[in-house]
Amino acid sequence: MLETFLQVVVNGLMLGGLFAIISIGLTTIFGIIKVVNFAHGEFLMAGMFLTWLFTTKLGLHPYAAVVVVAPVLFVLGGLTQKLLIQPLMNARDEHIQIFATVGLSTAMINLALLIYGADIANTPAYGLRTPLEFGPIRVLEGQLFILGAAILLVIGMELFLRRSRTGLAIRAVAQNRTAAQLMGINVNWIYVLSFGLGAACVGIASVLVAPLYPTSSNIGTYFVLIAFVVVILGGWGSIPGAFVGAMVIGLIDSLSGFYIGADLREAVVFGVFLVILILRPSGLFGTKQKLSHIS
Amino acid sequence: MKQILSLGSSRIASWAAPALLATLAALFITPVVIGDAFVYHVFVTICIFAALSTAWNIVGGFAGQLSLGHAIFYGIGAYAGVILMNLGISPWLGMFVGAAFAALAAVVISYPCFRLHGPFFALATIAFLEVFRVLALHFRDLTGGATGLMIPIKMGWQWMVFRERLPSLIIAFGMLLFCLAVAQWIRSGKLGYYLVATRERESAAKAAGVRTVQVRLIAVAISAALASMVGTFHAMYLTFIEPSAMFSLSFSIQIAMFALIGGIGTVYGPLLGALLLVPLTELARGWLGAEALGLHGFVYGVLLVLAVLFMPNGIMGVLHRYLQKSEEEEEPRQTQAAPVAAVPRAEAEHEAGPEILRAENLDKHFGGLHVTKDVSFSLREGEILGMIGPNGAGKTTLFNMLSGFLQPDSGKVTVSDSAGNFSAPISPADFASIGVGRTFQIVQPFAAMTVEENIMVGAFHRHPDVNDAREAARETAHRMGLGPWLNAEANGLTIGGLKRLEVARVMAMQPRILLLDEVMAGINQTDVRRAIDLMLSIRDTGVSIIAIEHVMQAVMSLSDRVIVLNSGEIVAEGDPQEVVRDPHVIEAYLGKGFADANS
Amino acid sequence: MLTLENIHAGYGATTILHDVSLDVQAGEVVTIVGANGAGKTTTLRAIAGQIRPTSGHIYFEGRDITKLAAHDVVDLGITMIPEGRQLFPDMTVRDNLMLGAFRSGARSVQNETLDYVLDLFPRVSERMDQMASSLSGGEQQMVAIARGMMAKPRLLMFDEPSLGLAPIIVEQVFEVVKKVAASGATVLIVEQNVFTTLQSADRGYVLENGEIALSDTAEALLSNDHVRRAYLGI
Repeated sequence: MLETFLQVVVNGLMLGGLFAIISIGLTTIFGIIKVVNFAHGEFLMAGMFLTWLFTTKLGLHPYAAVVVVAPVLFVLGGLTQKLLIQPLMNARDEHIQIFATVGLSTAMINLALLIYGADIANTPAYGLRTPLEFGPIRVLEGQLFILGAAILLVIGMELFLRRSRTGLAIRAVAQNRTAAQLMGINVNWIYVLSFGLGAACVGIASVLVAPLYPTSSNIGTYFVLIAFVVVILGGWGSIPGAFVGAMVIGLIDSLSGFYIGADLREAVVFGVFLVILILRPSGLFGTKQKLSHIS
Repeated sequence: MKQILSLGSSRIASWAAPALLATLAALFITPVVIGDAFVYHVFVTICIFAALSTAWNIVGGFAGQLSLGHAIFYGIGAYAGVILMNLGISPWLGMFVGAAFAALAAVVISYPCFRLHGPFFALATIAFLEVFRVLALHFRDLTGGATGLMIPIKMGWQWMVFRERLPSLIIAFGMLLFCLAVAQWIRSGKLGYYLVATRERESAAKAAGVRTVQVRLIAVAISAALASMVGTFHAMYLTFIEPSAMFSLSFSIQIAMFALIGGIGTVYGPLLGALLLVPLTELARGWLGAEALGLHGFVYGVLLVLAVLFMPNGIMGVLHRYLQKSEEEEEPRQTQAAPVAAVPRAEAEHEAGPEILRAENLDKHFGGLHVTKDVSFSLREGEILGMIGPNGAGKTTLFNMLSGFLQPDSGKVTVSDSAGNFSAPISPADFASIGVGRTFQIVQPFAAMTVEENIMVGAFHRHPDVNDAREAARETAHRMGLGPWLNAEANGLTIGGLKRLEVARVMAMQPRILLLDEVMAGINQTDVRRAIDLMLSIRDTGVSIIAIEHVMQAVMSLSDRVIVLNSGEIVAEGDPQEVVRDPHVIEAYLGKGFADANS
Repeated sequence: MLTLENIHAGYGATTILHDVSLDVQAGEVVTIVGANGAGKTTTLRAIAGQIRPTSGHIYFEGRDITKLAAHDVVDLGITMIPEGRQLFPDMTVRDNLMLGAFRSGARSVQNETLDYVLDLFPRVSERMDQMASSLSGGEQQMVAIARGMMAKPRLLMFDEPSLGLAPIIVEQVFEVVKKVAASGATVLIVEQNVFTTLQSADRGYVLENGEIALSDTAEALLSNDHVRRAYLGI
């Protein structure tokens, strides 16, 4: 009994690592640009397809794909900001921004369908799906790498934002766009950079996720909803918050899947999400910042 | 960007109505004439999507709440219809059962979500959609789970299922007409004005007496009921339903997208959007078959992005711009103010009546900040009470408590009704209905409306009928010197004009107590003098006024009594001439400069 | 040093400034006074490159800066201290000041500038490690001015420095403005607080409905009938 419970908890933590790594980019972009990127999942999907291509065509380890995937996604993110979000930054109506990324998401899903069809692309696992046994507990090697990478990415992003000069400028833009402009910071460039960074985080996530999950055109839709849940829970824009939120959701997912029923665990996760969104919109760990999204 | 088509409308060109009728007629006649099964199918699908999109637009466009979960209501209708049909109940009945459930679900879902803005509301609706889909998969006994549900083979009008194509087209077309009629009815009536006002400026709408939550709930209930009814019919048309198709996110997005591309917030935009885009999908599917997997979705996505970037007001916006251009050529717009003669007023001695509003011991904190400290005063009938004090003294906070926008931490505000009985209103709507009207320091025009329509939002408070409200609004506009701009975009007014509009909207409510927050700030000398005369004439009609004002010239010549607020406390109160000589006031507010210059 | 020639500017379809021309000489303290909404802030925003004039030209030290982006204007040495302070709320005072020295011309000497600025604002040096949002309004205004000084500006523009401050704090703020001017910087102040501002300025412009209604020395404006009537209720 206890062993089963432990296994379920460990599974939850591993899922948490996965959810964390896919959410970091989303919360980064929102925290700085204040745009909810509805195409976030499709960035992940694109990264996973790239990883699959890289691995199958060149016969290299999927993790090596990061040298291609992260920069490609950085550029993709930067272009999205420059060409799509930037022209709409001053739109009086936020619906327009929503439709913009929703449209991008629809276009990307269907472009993948057009190119690859409805088939599933399996990235070679290179042993990452091998279970490791720690006493009675089993985890996949790839899961451990994901958890480790998520922790490193959270720490890395925080250090970059807190310690570097560019990080200072980014935080300045996030806190007060007008004032940052008055300091001589090129706000538009910071936005492009930040969107690129957020997308590059997704790129890192996708090379880690690809060997474990089959890639398909609608894989992003599943992951993006979880990422939204995680980001809301952790407080919009907070990277460490997203990590903790991911752990909580991972545990809820795993525990409810085991004790309530596999087919209802999504309902539980989204139920929790709605309760948090409505009752505590600043997230579980949110501070008393000014919240623009509630009245 | 919001659609700027005038609501009630002298501005819609004369050919718009015939064009609409021709479009609708073509929608019905084309398939009948061609007689091809595929063409029938395309046109039935157009009608269904146009109807759904029109229903969505009541919430997403009029009310401005971007729902990406409208498939919930469509799905409820579909399941209600099929489940009841399996029990031998006609979908004509099932349709209304579904609509009732959908309306109920919509209210329950939306009520807590209204405090979420923009993308967060959209996210919440997506999450609800997921919950519904998962639940539909889970409750197999009722829904058939992932295997889906077939309708029993029963044909004929009674069951909404037909071997021939024409009856389906008739029903789909009828539903479209019904949805359009409902949308048109909402848009041109009081509800439509209230919805758009709430969307544009929630606080100003509240101040105009709009019960903002209530009107939006009505909108979502109607919208959900319509979507559900269409869902019931569509299920009969498809003969097979399953959770992933009924509660689908991409389906919800499509519905919203048709509205955006056609023209969000307009009555006929969604129809236009569906008319242009549905054939694209269906033709791609029909001609290219499996090869086109993803093609139409890709085109949709790209079109959506392009529309957002280059045509944010949709096709209707483009048409409107074109119409406006041709109109401007005919009739050059007036740009300068028609001067209103400022008639010198006879200096009549004014007697203040009994107390009409009492503020007792009002205390308010924001975090650690003590904004008002034990503030008590009263307003007498027919009196003009000036309120001055430095920025940050708590004047606007006080106003917010006097109009229900903020609740005091302790203390209370009581207002007497016309019979002289005091009561303590709570919400802004309560204050509005007892006769308290207020303006905002930062002008809050409803951007997507004309000047006349802006004032009408206030006028509806006393005149529920559109024509009466319009009449009252015009009258008020002329009185406020806004006559020449009745049909102008509110946003295009000068700052002085906007300030007058702010007052006009409130005056159209025919308040007994008027709270004016810096209506003279930023307007020029001539306007200040006109505003002073206007306020005096308003007072002469029996309205009592509290005015926050920095323009000392106005304060001195208007006020019967002045209250000076500093750091949340009343530091002086009394006759204007005496107050400006009070050393405390000079120190706190006027400064030595004023005292020196005045001596 | 700074010249505005026939500037028209506004937001969207609304024109706020009509044909505004003015100039500021090096070392001067010039003020633009006028009512709320007269276009004072719009003027500063046009100079700062935050909005683009629809017509007219702005020259700074002989160079046309009309079309420069906001951050490039800052790089030339024009710094604006915005209305309502606009600090970075969740950063320490130190980080706020360091961001003030972000422009390329100020970065290399930021430590020297910091010492100099803290000398001018002893109160600020006591608050270095506090979050900006925890300061009082008066302290925030001081930090905002100190942050502006960190850019080593050649022209320092103040937008309503007295807004929302108690009169006693307003006096202190103007003391600081005088200190700043005495240190050799050129200053352009926009204010509603007509008397106090004119008392600390060399010259003034009166802006009404987006047009320059009057311009004269500060002394002359103080005794001008129109100014006394329109802005003092006398």
